[in-house]
Amino acid sequence: MTSWRDKPTELLLAAGLVLIGVYFAVPRGNAQSVLYDLIGVGSAVLIAAGTTRNRPSRRTPWLLFAVGNLFFAVADIIFNVLVNPPVPSVADFFYLGGYPLLVLGLLLLLFAAGGHRRVAALGDATIVTFGFILLQWVFILDRIVSDHSLGVGERAVSAAYPLMDIVLLAGLAGFFVSAAWRTPSFLLLVASIAFLLIADEAYGVGPNSYRSGDLIDAGWLLSYVLWAAAAVHPSMRDLSSPARREYGRLSVGGGRIAMLMGALLAPAAVLLIQHLRGIAPLIPALVIASTVISVLVVLRLVGILRALERIRSRERGARADAEQAQRLLEAQNLRLLEADRMKDEFVALISHDLRTPLTSIMGYVELALDDDGESELDPERRTYLEVVARSSQRLLRLVDDLLFVARLQSGRLDLTPSRLDLNEVARQAAEEARGRADAKDLELVVDANGAVPVEADRGRVFQLLDNLISNAVKFTPDGGTIEIRVRGNGGALLEVCDTGIGFTAAEAERVFERFYRTDRAVERQVPGTGLGLFIAAAIADAHGGRISAHPREGGGAVFRVELPLAT
Amino acid sequence: MSKVVLVADDDDDILLLVTTRLQRDGYEVVSARDGISALALAREHKPRVAVLDVGMPGLDGLEVLTAIRAAEELHDTRVLLLTAKAQESDVRRGFESGADAYVKKPFSPAELAARVRELYEGAR
Repeated sequence: MTSWRDKPTELLLAAGLVLIGVYFAVPRGNAQSVLYDLIGVGSAVLIAAGTTRNRPSRRTPWLLFAVGNLFFAVADIIFNVLVNPPVPSVADFFYLGGYPLLVLGLLLLLFAAGGHRRVAALGDATIVTFGFILLQWVFILDRIVSDHSLGVGERAVSAAYPLMDIVLLAGLAGFFVSAAWRTPSFLLLVASIAFLLIADEAYGVGPNSYRSGDLIDAGWLLSYVLWAAAAVHPSMRDLSSPARREYGRLSVGGGRIAMLMGALLAPAAVLLIQHLRGIAPLIPALVIASTVISVLVVLRLVGILRALERIRSRERGARADAEQAQRLLEAQNLRLLEADRMKDEFVALISHDLRTPLTSIMGYVELALDDDGESELDPERRTYLEVVARSSQRLLRLVDDLLFVARLQSGRLDLTPSRLDLNEVARQAAEEARGRADAKDLELVVDANGAVPVEADRGRVFQLLDNLISNAVKFTPDGGTIEIRVRGNGGALLEVCDTGIGFTAAEAERVFERFYRTDRAVERQVPGTGLGLFIAAAIADAHGGRISAHPREGGGAVFRVELPLAT
Repeated sequence: MSKVVLVADDDDDILLLVTTRLQRDGYEVVSARDGISALALAREHKPRVAVLDVGMPGLDGLEVLTAIRAAEELHDTRVLLLTAKAQESDVRRGFESGADAYVKKPFSPAELAARVRELYEGAR
């Protein structure tokens, strides 16, 4: 729900316009004058009220606006009471006093918003001001100053008005071009000052013909109303807070270009107007003004070019830095790749060189254990040699696993796929493990009937199965059961179930990680490197399959491998 | 037909291991430590079975195998390759060059002896 309380600015503007309409509707006289004075005083009061209500971070500028407009209102009252008093009068004191207050307020707002740091903005304001000075001089000041029919005091006071307008315009221009914000309050304020200046100029061009109630009054009255509206609008708070946008980029807006263009063309326009009106041109004023404006515009352009150059060189620097970083990264990457390759080569070489002496160790141990009937080996020594044989087997398996992992990581895992029967490979792997299972009194059940054709590398699939079965044998206590199941509906499904020590559901996620060992495995000192399941998973993965581990109710584990069926 | 089995390996220990194991089975074994002498011994003794290590200096096992296959007088010799490399591609290359059997290192001497017996008895 919106009530009039939510829209004080709209309400104020509407009331102001109605009052202005009434002002022009009533006949000239005291009633009209009182209405005019009321609007002026009301404006000053509303500016103060708006400031109190909106609580901007800087109040001083707005209080200066209130006092400045109050000065104008007081001057209006005096002017009306005295009825067109001769110049200079007390009214002039208040009128002329109002301008500096307003300009000071504008400058304070400009500084609060950080506008003074923007040399470019101030430069633009200066250029516009000089263009305006030229117009003021040619059309108003020159006539006043050179009118010798007036007294010195009257001439001085009369000339002060156009000068004040220049000061006010300078303040407005600086305020206008520096503003990074375009809030309603800002626009109302600019419109207010613009109406004030227009009315002043109209008055300045023909002051002798002015009477209270002329259309010029509309400009001053609108200025009052708009100024009050600017103070009442809540966005006035933003005007006194520092600009949110830093001057990081180069932006020359259309409005600014139009202003500069106008200033640059002012001398030519003046020359043309004077020529058309048949008045002798004021050569010195024109020369000075056009010189100053041209110099300022050129300086401004130089400033823009310099800023562009700065931005470009910053960009060049940033780009050079980025390229440098890129080169460093590439070099580092190459070194890393090289180091990785060397590591792989090293592992492969070591593994190969370990296999050769292992061949001798295992071969000779077997030869020594192999009874040829000539010499009976005493039982104790036989036991020792059997330990050597078992340890050599484990060592060989470790070397093979490391070699496999090294190959896997350097992407050199070549598969030689062929069509094979998963059931047959499973039976073969189970037979291979039967001796080890028997040694632990484990029951090894193979449930694999019919043919389950897969397109796979026979050696690798055997290795995968062997790793799973060896794992089950290793982790199943004596007297347990290991079951190998193969199914072939939909996809090839292979399961190795055991009644071993198992693992937790959380560990099930991690058992395929390289070098991962479950807490129970470490606790019970089951030997192993944590490579077997990692390799099994890698092989399943390389064949486009997947592997998963599931804890079994009541202890034990199920390892499930799914492979695509051969087409 | 000769009763000789040729064994070639550049590693003395492996050479002795294979030689000892085969002698136990009653074969007459001639041994060489490099490919060139292996080929010379093959020409001299015309062995029924040759056990060749793939990785040897001079002529490697595959080159000796190729030379044996090229020699008319050795067309009855069966060749078994021994290798430390477990790569499928090496196995394929071995068979393409005309090998009759393949044993990977490390091997069980009993298993090797069994393979040699198969070749020996299967040889014409």
